[in-house]
Amino acid sequence: MDKFSFKDVLILITGVIITLGVAWIILTVTGFIPGEIAKLFYEGAVVGQRNIVNTLNIATPYILTSIATVISFRVGMFNIGINGSMYIGGLYAAWAGYKFTSLGHISHVSLALAISIFCGSLWMLLPALLKVYAGVSEIISTIILNFVAVLFVSYMANGPFRADPIAPATPRILETAELKQYFPNSQFNTGFFIAVLVAFLTYFILKKTTFGYELRSGGDGLVGSYPSRYSSYLGIPTDRSAITGMLISGGLGGLAGGIEILGNARYFYQELAFNQGFDGILIAIVGKLEPLGGLIASLFWSALKNGGLFVDYKTDVSREIVVILLSILIFFVSAQKLVSALEKLSFVRKLDSIFSRRIK
Amino acid sequence: MEWLEIFDISLFRSLIRSATPIALIGFGAAMCSAAGVLNIGLEGKMLNAAFVGVAASYYSGSAMTGFIWGVSAGVLTAILFGVLSFNLGADEVLAGLAINIFALALTRYLLETLFKRRGFFSDPSIQGIDPIEFEFLNGTPFEKILSGFTPSVYLVFLLAFLLYLVYYKTRLGTAIRATGENPEAAKDAGINTLRMKWLVVIFSGVLAGIGGTFLSLETLTLFTEGMSAGKGYIGLVASSFGNNTPLGVFGASLFFGLGDAIGIRLQGVYELDSRLILMIPYALTVVVLILIGIRQRLRVRPVPIIEE
Repeated sequence: MDKFSFKDVLILITGVIITLGVAWIILTVTGFIPGEIAKLFYEGAVVGQRNIVNTLNIATPYILTSIATVISFRVGMFNIGINGSMYIGGLYAAWAGYKFTSLGHISHVSLALAISIFCGSLWMLLPALLKVYAGVSEIISTIILNFVAVLFVSYMANGPFRADPIAPATPRILETAELKQYFPNSQFNTGFFIAVLVAFLTYFILKKTTFGYELRSGGDGLVGSYPSRYSSYLGIPTDRSAITGMLISGGLGGLAGGIEILGNARYFYQELAFNQGFDGILIAIVGKLEPLGGLIASLFWSALKNGGLFVDYKTDVSREIVVILLSILIFFVSAQKLVSALEKLSFVRKLDSIFSRRIK
Repeated sequence: MEWLEIFDISLFRSLIRSATPIALIGFGAAMCSAAGVLNIGLEGKMLNAAFVGVAASYYSGSAMTGFIWGVSAGVLTAILFGVLSFNLGADEVLAGLAINIFALALTRYLLETLFKRRGFFSDPSIQGIDPIEFEFLNGTPFEKILSGFTPSVYLVFLLAFLLYLVYYKTRLGTAIRATGENPEAAKDAGINTLRMKWLVVIFSGVLAGIGGTFLSLETLTLFTEGMSAGKGYIGLVASSFGNNTPLGVFGASLFFGLGDAIGIRLQGVYELDSRLILMIPYALTVVVLILIGIRQRLRVRPVPIIEE
């Protein structure tokens, strides 16, 4: 995949415009005034300190899950199970958060996050091995493992890890394991910086290191299909990079869950519902499977999401409208023939060449 | 040996009921896989159908209207999938995935907007589809085994047989299989492979639609968020486990149904945690995936002969 070009941006913008058109229709048909709703969206997303930091806080897990998607898709594995890794990582981060009593702040947080990464990663081991050594579709195995994960954590929060006799939940994590929250009116915490760091680190590793090249070579240009034969002829162990990529991807999912617990929820309870793993896949696609693209798309998405919460709170419009719109955008962006038809338009080509020349 | 007592007629009936939606999805998935289409979007088709079925039945007060609208919703979603992947060149997996997420959000949105509910919707004016009683079986031992299921259950048995015939005994079946096995050769033989793909996708949409209305209008008469609960995916696994053949899929679905039914009954005997019981179908699916993996490892692969 190349860097973002003007064409890509234009396609995204066209997609967004079409999506907004659809939103207009849906809202009008279901009896709302689109203009007012849009204003509320904007307000809820980025107006005022509280809304801005909330948007960033919402972005944290999306950044991590979209990066996790980027890595797995780039090694040629369709990992749909990041949500499951998130649950497992979150549960064991909570466990580590209350279990280890005699640790300092930094060491406790590091240990808990390391455990969440390890558990999230381990959760992806079986699908990775099944795919590489036995050709079992990782798409299906990871999706099924999502269901297992939800029920497993719910069982653990109800049984072995349960502390409260009334509510099915683990004990609260100790203060030493908490990620610092910076504002009294928001749960915004250090986790955001970790996520951004991970995004830049992934960009660096994929682009600038041999390890990253080996990872990429298995899947680039062949997203979703078997690791390219080309790279195995070059002597790059595609099987190994496929497994490594899956494990990293699961680990980042686990980290996303861990940060949600240590930074926001502070304990694991049965009703806790993660869905960032699924949305992360869509976000990564909008970000063209680039780490920094994922970062930007996550910020954009969480602004929409936060705006959606505000709209949901202020009006009768359901927050689900945001997910509907994102999936329509995906329909558009993934429609290759539509995109190439757009690229063929003469004025698009002219603009593209002017723009590219200026960059050089 | 108190656990042996669970093997009775009601276990059998619960097995058949659990297997039905999986088999419906599985048949569609098998036809798609045979034609070389990986149809991840079946889950979303099922969910849309379940919701639209309930909504139509609620507004019209007729189970039949609900059923027809539900199946139409499944077909419409299938057409969306087909347009995206065949006409607009989208990746099949991405299109399917986006459809599943889209359906989950859309049904939630409509649930909140139309019925002002969150989580689930049930109402006495939703008409369910009634079971079929075979009166001529009354008084015979077959009454308890065969009579009183809802129509979809009988449809599954009929389909297993019909699809077997279509698959192996007709030109159409050969054309579908050829499309998946060797598209180039199929084209040379004058088969319109695109038409075959459209055919199986629409067919799977019909079956997913029936599966969806089975969940929301036959077993229960209500809609809950995400009520398809992975059955679309389990159907895919059943299709893979059954080697994408109608009878194989039928057998695999019965296997999944058995696991489900035993779990439900064991809960009564041993008072197991309900979450562990709910996990059984998925855990069983993982086991089946491992078995498929072992089978694929053991299978002797023919060495391709390349002629220069």
